[in-house]
Amino acid sequence: MRSKRFEVLDQRPVNQDGYVKEWPEVGLIAMNSPFDPEPSIKIVDGKVVEMDGKKREDFDMLDVFIADYAINLEDAEEAMATDSLQIARMLCDINVTRDEVLKYTLAITPAKLVDVVGNLSVLEAMMGITKMRARKQPANQCHVTNVKDNMVQIAADAAEAAVRGFAEMETTVGIVRYAPFNALAIMVGANVGRPGILTQCAVEEATELDLGMRGYTAYAETVSVYGTEDVFMDGDDTPWSKAFLASCYASRGVKMRFTSGTGSEVQMGMAEGKSMLYLEARCLGVTRGAGVQGTQNGSVSCVGVPAAVPGGIRAIACENLIAGMLDLENASSNDQTFTHSDLRRVARSMPQFIPGTDYICSGYSATPNYDNMFAGSNWDAEDYEDWCTIQRDLRVDAGLQPASEEEVVAARSKAAKAIQAIFAELGLPEITDAEVEAATYANGSKDMPDRNVVEDLKAAEDMLARGVTGVDFVKALYKGGFEDVANSIFQIQKAKVVGDYLHTASMLDSDFHVISAVNSCNDYHGPMTGYQISPERWEKMSNIRKAVDPATL
Amino acid sequence: MAIDEKLLKSIIAEVLKDMNGAEAPAAPKASAAADLELTETGDAEKGTNPNEVVLGVAPAFGVSQTTNILGVPHGQIVKEIMAGIEEEGVSCRVVKVYRTSDVSFVAHDAAELSGSGVGIGIQSKGTTVIHQKDLPPLSNLELFPQCPLIDLETYRQIGKNAAKYAKGESPSPVPVKNDQMARPKYQALSAVLHIKETEHADRDKAPKALKVTFK
Amino acid sequence: MDQELLVRQIMQEVLKNMQGAQAAPAGDTVTAADYPLGESMPEKIKSASGKTLDELTLDKVISGELTAADFRITKETLELQAQVADSVGRKTFGMNLRRAGELIPVPDARLLEIYNALRPYRSTKAELYAIGDELINQYGATVTGNFVKEAADVYEKRGRLKKA
Repeated sequence: MRSKRFEVLDQRPVNQDGYVKEWPEVGLIAMNSPFDPEPSIKIVDGKVVEMDGKKREDFDMLDVFIADYAINLEDAEEAMATDSLQIARMLCDINVTRDEVLKYTLAITPAKLVDVVGNLSVLEAMMGITKMRARKQPANQCHVTNVKDNMVQIAADAAEAAVRGFAEMETTVGIVRYAPFNALAIMVGANVGRPGILTQCAVEEATELDLGMRGYTAYAETVSVYGTEDVFMDGDDTPWSKAFLASCYASRGVKMRFTSGTGSEVQMGMAEGKSMLYLEARCLGVTRGAGVQGTQNGSVSCVGVPAAVPGGIRAIACENLIAGMLDLENASSNDQTFTHSDLRRVARSMPQFIPGTDYICSGYSATPNYDNMFAGSNWDAEDYEDWCTIQRDLRVDAGLQPASEEEVVAARSKAAKAIQAIFAELGLPEITDAEVEAATYANGSKDMPDRNVVEDLKAAEDMLARGVTGVDFVKALYKGGFEDVANSIFQIQKAKVVGDYLHTASMLDSDFHVISAVNSCNDYHGPMTGYQISPERWEKMSNIRKAVDPATL
Repeated sequence: MAIDEKLLKSIIAEVLKDMNGAEAPAAPKASAAADLELTETGDAEKGTNPNEVVLGVAPAFGVSQTTNILGVPHGQIVKEIMAGIEEEGVSCRVVKVYRTSDVSFVAHDAAELSGSGVGIGIQSKGTTVIHQKDLPPLSNLELFPQCPLIDLETYRQIGKNAAKYAKGESPSPVPVKNDQMARPKYQALSAVLHIKETEHADRDKAPKALKVTFK
Repeated sequence: MDQELLVRQIMQEVLKNMQGAQAAPAGDTVTAADYPLGESMPEKIKSASGKTLDELTLDKVISGELTAADFRITKETLELQAQVADSVGRKTFGMNLRRAGELIPVPDARLLEIYNALRPYRSTKAELYAIGDELINQYGATVTGNFVKEAADVYEKRGRLKKA
């Protein structure tokens, strides 16, 4: 006989997920592994000769790079000699400022970073994130994609997402050759919804740089680093090649961040018997050593691995915290689908949602998940009002705001018309009024008519061959009657000449004013400090669509 | 109605299935007796026959792991891929790649050994790539990343398409199935299988030619 | 405690403002107090084509007076941004911006080639050293050129050079 109770439990979404027990010897353990190295550092004549129990002659590529570039050596001996528990306490002590904590955390090794956060409960890690986040105000990022690579829908979805509050947007492709159109559509659509939104297009490394150089994107994020040398090799890069790539972006005035996350090494079978979090701390060391302003981390696409072992979601919060401890901008994942259970997916996001990170999701799907070309997100367009209601329930600003049907439809319509106009001006395949209408009212690509893909791809290739740049987009929008959108795209091109937005945790407000961890650094040190929700902002956040005004009853 | 042995067996199977039906999907058992014997016959040679596809299998394939992530026996998978290739009038050689367990590199090594320059790489858990020797290792002709979604029919199609590339044709890609819920269900299990495969990799060991016997 | 903190913060702010007030007119180094530079010193920021920020207007884009070439950042601007980074303790970020400044004259296609040459197993030690010399001699990119040579040495030690 089977227990009826267990029959029911077996059918629950939570039991459709995969789980495994720890296997620390191969690195299938989230953090606090008995096989992680003991923290240590020895400096002779300004050079690290021993780190985390390894002699310099035994260093692998990552050790060399981290030891030579990532650690503030002048403070290292003192910081390494400080008890890890004491540094852990500083992280959640409101009487110790962010700057004081950084003096220690910027001067310690990967093993020490992990040793420090290994003392924290998830609540204490969240307190740490509240303080160590680089930018004062949190923000959010979304994915805008669809299975048809339909650029009219991308423009409309981006415009809606902007109205809903996202400060940054990312697209990618089903078919690689669509990349120029998708990049153009998300840039135009986003800036219809709210001027000053930064956009990117995630494609292969060299192609992504090329799009940035042409002015089709404003930043890049898909620049992966890994925590063991073998996985780095399988990723076809080294810390030096990636650091060089980072400088290439800045030389063209384009903002960028690296990407890494727990679980990638063990997923590739090359974790060298170290915990997922220790290897992620090495990734972040490489990121800081390369002089990159920030990271997208939080397991990202490997989330199914830490989520399957005990304490995995705590480890993800800790890796976001370590990003802050290294003074890096943090786009904190909360993107990829990892569970069948609605309860688990909300719980997984709370360690970033409640304290706030620079970009809480690094991508929230701005479409229904069936259109998400990053293999599905933890949150999608159909959850928009859940997210806003949770913000309202907890009085937490997690970057979004409610929007009315009228506003959304108006923004979508304008974005679809803007992309129609730009296509006409640039001599690209026609976008019909029927497509504009469909995109205005669509939920997803199932509501969109098909396009002539062969003709589109030919035109996209031709557009690159003709050398069309961001400046041409500005002109086309202006001629097409969208002067305001033309100005937005113009301002973003101009931002690349100035370079203010290259700095840590930058974003642009709707007047193209740069807000970053330089002029708006996080100064949280206890109740009523740091970011506070203004009365106007709270009013906006509170006004969800379904709330009844007692006066009308 | 007459109850024959076959019917009886199917009824018993049905009843057992119902009794177990409510159980959570169990992790596949890799204990199924191997239906495939792979015998190494020396170093794999670089092919000269322009009418061949080389199938490269990862280090643990058919030996310490004998089924894919869903428990489908490796013999059936190899049989389907080979049948797909041969249907197109192209011959197939099977090699084992030892230096890596990464499917892209396994496939690229196979492509480099192939007289046509087209190869297929497959991991024990079932992930498969069609590769061409002139492409960068991390690129590919076709990639089937979600191994739990590749059925036997798809493996046959993969063989067929690889053969078509070898003949210089441009087939339409085999439709890739996508299920975002494959990650929550299989990602960790897939990691474990990959770790076990990687334990059999040997960076300095050359690819070996294999004689394939189905059992 | 709270008061102490408050005093300390006010002190910091005042000091910061004083530093800023000194730096801005002097013009030799800039700090976080001058940031955003595009707002505090638009006359000092020039594009690679020599146009000042004030000259970069939408009207001039529409009239065709400005082209994509007028929207490239300069080495001087990246140096100023690196100084801002240094002033907030982000030294490694500052170093990246300075390497970037050196790479400005390198053509897009050559940058992509060098990136690919730095990937594992792509180049011999001599090839990477040649790239280092090219960066130093042809583009004056001393820091980045030596960075490429350093990579060659590490790749050699770790067996990640092109197999002969």
